[in-house]
Amino acid sequence: MNPTGAAKTMNLSTQRMEFLSRLLDVATLRHDVIAQNVANVNTPGYETLEVSFEEALQEALGNDALLDASRATPKVIPGAGGVERSDGNNVDIDLEIGRLHKNSLYFKVYTQLLATELAQFRSAIAGR
Amino acid sequence: MGFDNLLVGSNISASGLSAERLRMEVIANNVANAMATRTPGGGGAFRRQEVLFEAILNDQAGPGESPGLGGVRVVGVVDDPTELPRIHDPGHPDADAEGFVTVPNVFLPIEMVNLMTASRAYEANMKVLQNLRQQLEQTLTLLRY
Repeated sequence: MNPTGAAKTMNLSTQRMEFLSRLLDVATLRHDVIAQNVANVNTPGYETLEVSFEEALQEALGNDALLDASRATPKVIPGAGGVERSDGNNVDIDLEIGRLHKNSLYFKVYTQLLATELAQFRSAIAGR
Repeated sequence: MGFDNLLVGSNISASGLSAERLRMEVIANNVANAMATRTPGGGGAFRRQEVLFEAILNDQAGPGESPGLGGVRVVGVVDDPTELPRIHDPGHPDADAEGFVTVPNVFLPIEMVNLMTASRAYEANMKVLQNLRQQLEQTLTLLRY
């Protein structure tokens, strides 16, 4: 059974919502990693952690117009640290706070985009 | 996106706040006892203390998965083993036969710098926690309308 025009649009909406939901999950993970780095700013020998996702996402999307991000998984890896200090710690607190604000902004954008999608759904259901 | 996911961040930041606060208490204790030439139980001069931090990484995750982030843990409060300095003060009640008094190995500039570091780290953890709260509130707005 071929989906009609309206049903096709509905499919894409769900995919967009899935995609945004995915991005929100990554932003949440990123926040947790930043929190971990900040909590351990004075721990000797601690190495800064970061989330690697954008490249995997780029690969997964490729030339595919459909937003199938399910193949890309975020990974927590060591990296993005500053200069290593005498106690072996390389967390740069200013960089982390900067990342915090940036991630916060992305989170806000994703949430608002998701809210817009939901609003469209609701108006479609309400028939207005 | 479950609630548990969102609350992990608050546990991490809370552990950071707690650890830095303990560090500040230990520093305060060092400074308060900077000239304590006696300790209870007939012990000698006070020895400065330090806190030992350790990152919490739960290994529940399987291979290839992200490690469980748990924040930071205080492993212990230990004495600084460096030699206690001796000051020449024959009139002091605790002076030895040669007129030297063994005093604590507390150096105020070091304690002050450590205090500033701990203070700044505390503020940073607080900021991260406040940020998380904002994000949670934004997520809740999705439930509106």
